[in-house]
Amino acid sequence: MKLSTDSENLLIEISVQKKIYLEGNLLKILDTDNENFRTYLNKSIELDDENRKKRITLSKQIQDRNIELELKQSQLEQKQNENNKLLEDLNNALFLAEKAKLEALNEVSVLQTKNQFELIGTIVKIALCVIVGVGIIVTSMYVFAMSKDSTETTLIGNTWSNLFGILLTNSFSIIGTIMGVKYATEQEK
Amino acid sequence: MINSILLVDDEDLFHIVFDDVCSLLNITLSLETCYSSDEAEEKFINWYANENNKPPCAFIDLNIIGSSFDGIELIKKVNTQYGNNIVIGIISSSVDSIEIEKAKSVGAMFWIVKSDNLEPRLEKFYQDFPKYQNKTKEFTVYK
Repeated sequence: MKLSTDSENLLIEISVQKKIYLEGNLLKILDTDNENFRTYLNKSIELDDENRKKRITLSKQIQDRNIELELKQSQLEQKQNENNKLLEDLNNALFLAEKAKLEALNEVSVLQTKNQFELIGTIVKIALCVIVGVGIIVTSMYVFAMSKDSTETTLIGNTWSNLFGILLTNSFSIIGTIMGVKYATEQEK
Repeated sequence: MINSILLVDDEDLFHIVFDDVCSLLNITLSLETCYSSDEAEEKFINWYANENNKPPCAFIDLNIIGSSFDGIELIKKVNTQYGNNIVIGIISSSVDSIEIEKAKSVGAMFWIVKSDNLEPRLEKFYQDFPKYQNKTKEFTVYK
């Protein structure tokens, strides 16, 4: 493709006065018979190539930096994920520890309750033994007094009657207390 | 010189680099660019109806962000639905052999590895271009 002589001269004049040259791929399809314009075209192509080379270098640098940034961002995200995972593990461990603590406390509580029941059981057994023992002894004394036709039979009879009443009352009181405690404990569970 | 080339790539900067390299190496003076495979498909549909201005060569990126399908799928569509008859291949930073085989199987004619040292690969491709047009060149990976 050829330009008119006037256009060629105008472009040359602009390049001399303002240092502005044609740019782009258009330069590669322009042709001329004018030696001055040929020089102008060569100079323009040379400048255009230089600019393109600079742009390629710059673009590649930016691409490299972008890749580097992406890599760093990816590493950061990876670290963030690792931190999140650690935090999650920590929370899980904390939860497990809390659960273990509750279980331990529960076990201690169960153990304490068991001990208390065992103690109550022992007390009740002893109390019942004492009651039964006293009952047997007094009854034996009363029977013995009646068989020997003792003058103390009436006194022992009254004592036996009073004592038996007290023992029965106490026995039912103890049984009632035990049943009450047992019922209350089952309700709490 | 190749009349015109179609470049399908989601990266702006690569458009600039590719344009400059093609100009410096006198590969082509007319570069048409697309940012997605959907946009490129539209163009191929139009060229299928009217072959005017259809570029003789197309470089398709493998993974095109913002597209509903990848470069291999686009090549498959072009070769099976939109008239073929174009030197078409992949330009990608990937060198995954499975992807390369997939591209070959759908009719890609070349695979150019996109990296810093792009110029010698494009120069080599340009030398082979007439053979691709004659369909006498085997599928080639330019590493």
